[in-house]
Amino acid sequence: MFAELFSIVFQFADVFAFLILAAAGLAIIFGMMGIINMAHGEFIMCGIYVTVIGVQNGLPLPVAQACGALTAGLIGVILERTIIYRLYDRPLDSILATWGISLIVTQGMLVTMGSSWPGIGTPTGSFAVGVYTFSTYRLVLFAAAVVVMIGIYILFMRTSFGTLARATMQNPQMARALGVRTPRVYAASFGVGAALAGLCGALYAPTMTLIPTMGITFIVEAFVTVVVGGSNVLLGTVPAAVVLGVIRTSLNAWHGQIVGQIGMLIAVILVIRVLPEGVSGWLARRAR
Amino acid sequence: MRKNSMTRALLAGFSALAMLAAVAPHAQGQEKIKIGLLEDISGDLALLGMPKLHGSQLALEEINAKGGIMGRQIELIHLDPQGDNARYQEFARRLIQRDKVDVLIGGITSASREALRPIVNRADKLYIYTNQYEGGVCDGNMISVGAVPEQQLSTLIPWMVEKFGKRVYTVAADYNFGQLTAEWTRDLLKKAGGEVIGQEFIPLGVSQFGQTIQNIQKAKPDWLMMLNVGAAQDSFFEQAAAAKLNLPMGSPIKVMLGFEHKRFKPPALENMHAVANWFEEIDTPAARDFKKRWRAKFPNETYINDMGYNAYVAMYMYKMLVETAKSTDKNAIRKVIATGNACIDSPEGKICIDPKSQHTSHHMRLIGVKADHSVEVIKDFGVIQPYWLGEIGCDLTKADPKEQYAPSNLPKKK
Amino acid sequence: MLEALRSLNGPQTLGNGRVFWSGFALVSLIAIAYPFGFDPYDVGNTAYFLIWIFAALGLSLMWGYTGILSFGQMAFFGVAGYGYGVISINLAATGGMTLVAFVAAVGVAAAFAAVLGYFMIYGRVGGVYFGIVTFATTLALAAFMGQTAGPEWAIGSARFNGFNGMGGMPSLELPWFGEPVLLEGTPLYYAVLFMLLATYLGLRWLVNGRFGNVLVAIREDPLRAELLGYDVRKYQLGVFVLGSSLAAVSGGLYTAWGQFITPATMGLPSAAMPIIWVAFSGRGDLTATLVGTFVLLLSFQALTVYSQQYALILMGLLLLVTVLFVPAGFILGFGRRLKRLHDRVLNTERRPS
Repeated sequence: MFAELFSIVFQFADVFAFLILAAAGLAIIFGMMGIINMAHGEFIMCGIYVTVIGVQNGLPLPVAQACGALTAGLIGVILERTIIYRLYDRPLDSILATWGISLIVTQGMLVTMGSSWPGIGTPTGSFAVGVYTFSTYRLVLFAAAVVVMIGIYILFMRTSFGTLARATMQNPQMARALGVRTPRVYAASFGVGAALAGLCGALYAPTMTLIPTMGITFIVEAFVTVVVGGSNVLLGTVPAAVVLGVIRTSLNAWHGQIVGQIGMLIAVILVIRVLPEGVSGWLARRAR
Repeated sequence: MRKNSMTRALLAGFSALAMLAAVAPHAQGQEKIKIGLLEDISGDLALLGMPKLHGSQLALEEINAKGGIMGRQIELIHLDPQGDNARYQEFARRLIQRDKVDVLIGGITSASREALRPIVNRADKLYIYTNQYEGGVCDGNMISVGAVPEQQLSTLIPWMVEKFGKRVYTVAADYNFGQLTAEWTRDLLKKAGGEVIGQEFIPLGVSQFGQTIQNIQKAKPDWLMMLNVGAAQDSFFEQAAAAKLNLPMGSPIKVMLGFEHKRFKPPALENMHAVANWFEEIDTPAARDFKKRWRAKFPNETYINDMGYNAYVAMYMYKMLVETAKSTDKNAIRKVIATGNACIDSPEGKICIDPKSQHTSHHMRLIGVKADHSVEVIKDFGVIQPYWLGEIGCDLTKADPKEQYAPSNLPKKK
Repeated sequence: MLEALRSLNGPQTLGNGRVFWSGFALVSLIAIAYPFGFDPYDVGNTAYFLIWIFAALGLSLMWGYTGILSFGQMAFFGVAGYGYGVISINLAATGGMTLVAFVAAVGVAAAFAAVLGYFMIYGRVGGVYFGIVTFATTLALAAFMGQTAGPEWAIGSARFNGFNGMGGMPSLELPWFGEPVLLEGTPLYYAVLFMLLATYLGLRWLVNGRFGNVLVAIREDPLRAELLGYDVRKYQLGVFVLGSSLAAVSGGLYTAWGQFITPATMGLPSAAMPIIWVAFSGRGDLTATLVGTFVLLLSFQALTVYSQQYALILMGLLLLVTVLFVPAGFILGFGRRLKRLHDRVLNTERRPS
């Protein structure tokens, strides 16, 4: 009985961690700048490849993972300063531009790195509860998701950067008038978002097989979570991940994975219809 | 008088030379035989498509070096459909109508094959499909070179039941191939005295298998039938190994196609068993020679997979058919197939095209993957015929329905 | 007659003058004469390109003229494709019945668009979220159709066949005196060309009239349009249904052309293609969209044939460059430059010496 309960909680935590880690970066970029980053999957892929190549060249796993996140973040900053900054008031064009970047990157990776790359194994360690055995690394993933959430909270609520960022998010002109260097804030935020995507990739790298187009497997869940969560990454992402995690886990258990997948997409449609500003908008309005 | 005869001699000499010059190009530079190739070398399926292109190119080089087909050189016209079914349709039309190829070869997914068949049928061209697939296509314009479920599963399943046990859990990709092969699995397991105690169908692109692993542990099977497709779904092996699932696995599509044992870190694929007509680890003299030639031309090939091997063999099959029929005409070639003697010696052994279904018999071998991801050939099943289509009533020597059948979609009894 | 022609001109389309229409007449003549000088393969291939342009024109109408970004063109494309398959297979259609099946399929897609549109537009979903909902719908439809492989997934004698796609439907046939004409190759080219010209001229008439003025007003400022007394939602719904029905026309024609339709047409990256075509061409103008989509389809195919592995990279670059440097659209920008040149020439002509 306990084993059953534990397994259900574990599954939910696993799905929750996946949604949070996949969506965090996207949520920050969307929340801060209103940009829908169609290249989000490619930042994740960057984190994965850098991590794997790092480990295969002798780096210990955590160091390689940090490298993966940092590389993605750096590329994000460069991309922002060269291309993205021109698109802040053009959300539809940002979709197109980032889609173009995504095409270039995935095909470029295919041409330069080949159609597949050897993987690295999951760090060993497993434990048993009743008839079930679990990989300890999945707990690491869950812990990482929690740390990421807390980290984002601290960054945005307790640091001066966070205050500047929130000010810029609420009223860019006023922030600029008060002396905030908004271009830098945007660049840094985009970099943080990209680094989080890279971190997601770095964390999941030991558990997956590598192909250049692997970003796709994260992107739908990430989008769904961000849309349901709304533009406030602090208020919205966690409740959205909880709600979607419940929907996904229960639909999977009831009728299989395809129902879970379609169910999530239908949830998006319904949420947009009923709660157009997402969960965070609804929560914000209730708080007033 | 002497000047006249000299002039006449010179004139005769020149005209002889001129006639020779006019005739010579016809004798040597005969029209090339054109083979249209549609293989994905970009997009998701590039992993599988590149070895196919290489296989065709290797065969082309070898055949042309030995004089071509019927003395005519062959030309390979390859277009990359990028895994897009619409491009398959566009490029098939281009190859057939504009480039006027004599035969069309290619396609990876069953969807691409089904997209090509109406076009090939309308133009009445010959089409060779080189992949293993879920079986069932009864179409006179198509020759299938790949293995089909009765060849792979009727050998794998009884062996797995005998070695590991009767209770089986199936993990399958949730689309035609996965569902059909799962159906075959159920039927053949019952015949072998086993049963499917659980089935899971995973949509393509899903990469997280936590729930699946737990379902498996709850059901306590003796072994797993793995019908997962695509890089995302392959993550199952890594995650199952990390969770120490440690169950024997059987599959008609792992190791031979996507060479997972080379791409994943050991011991993710430990205890995987597969049956196919070709693995790079086959160690017969013919296989060794073939591998040597392949690696001479393509030294960086990660793995010579079953698809690449089939693509290579398909070219030699076409050569045999054209030379026996003494023509590239589709009907002449079909008559050769109908005799039942359309056979070639290939690196796997002697294989023939079955007249009733136009599918190929294959020499099937079972392999097992060890903890260090080395592969050993465990059992040699000999030549297995593609018998199922003939059994259910498909006889292309008599009728050409141009349909795809399945255990749940049998031809209507007349 | 002149009155009718004059109604094709207006502020909503870039080309209006005599020069434009003479150019149009010339291009039409070339298009009509085209099959006589060219390989049957080229004619068939061109017809194939023309088939997709309806979806692009529909998106231009919705996005360029009314400001509704619909990511759902390929969803309705697919619905009409499968609809044509189901109806024509069950009717065992030949001759004129194939046309009935085609029209019915477009009707089914239009009904679906009406339902989805009503749900969203009357629910005040707008802007980027409209795009997201239509995107989610397209993907959900693709995922759902992809798993319909079993024999239970059939309507009548037409099996959906999941990922492997539905085949076995007849090509379109035009009833004619004696034998029905199979719409393949050159006959298909003329049929599609005629339909395209009719659609283009019809849309021109629509956007340059009062309806079009309201659409543009909605695009520029929906609140203001509403305050001026127009029921914005009715116009948006009407345009959404019309634009999506044009995508359905493309879908039916494609399915009849290839006798095959798969869920992959509704998945990624297929779903994003109409957006890419229209964004590149210049969504704000019908002519630009028509010309630009054709140019893009031709270029992409040529790129894939000749540079294979690099084609997708070049496509991404094209998109990026368009968005960054010519956001209104390449063809539209080019068209505007032509117009300025034309006006300048005219002005210098008129200036007294």
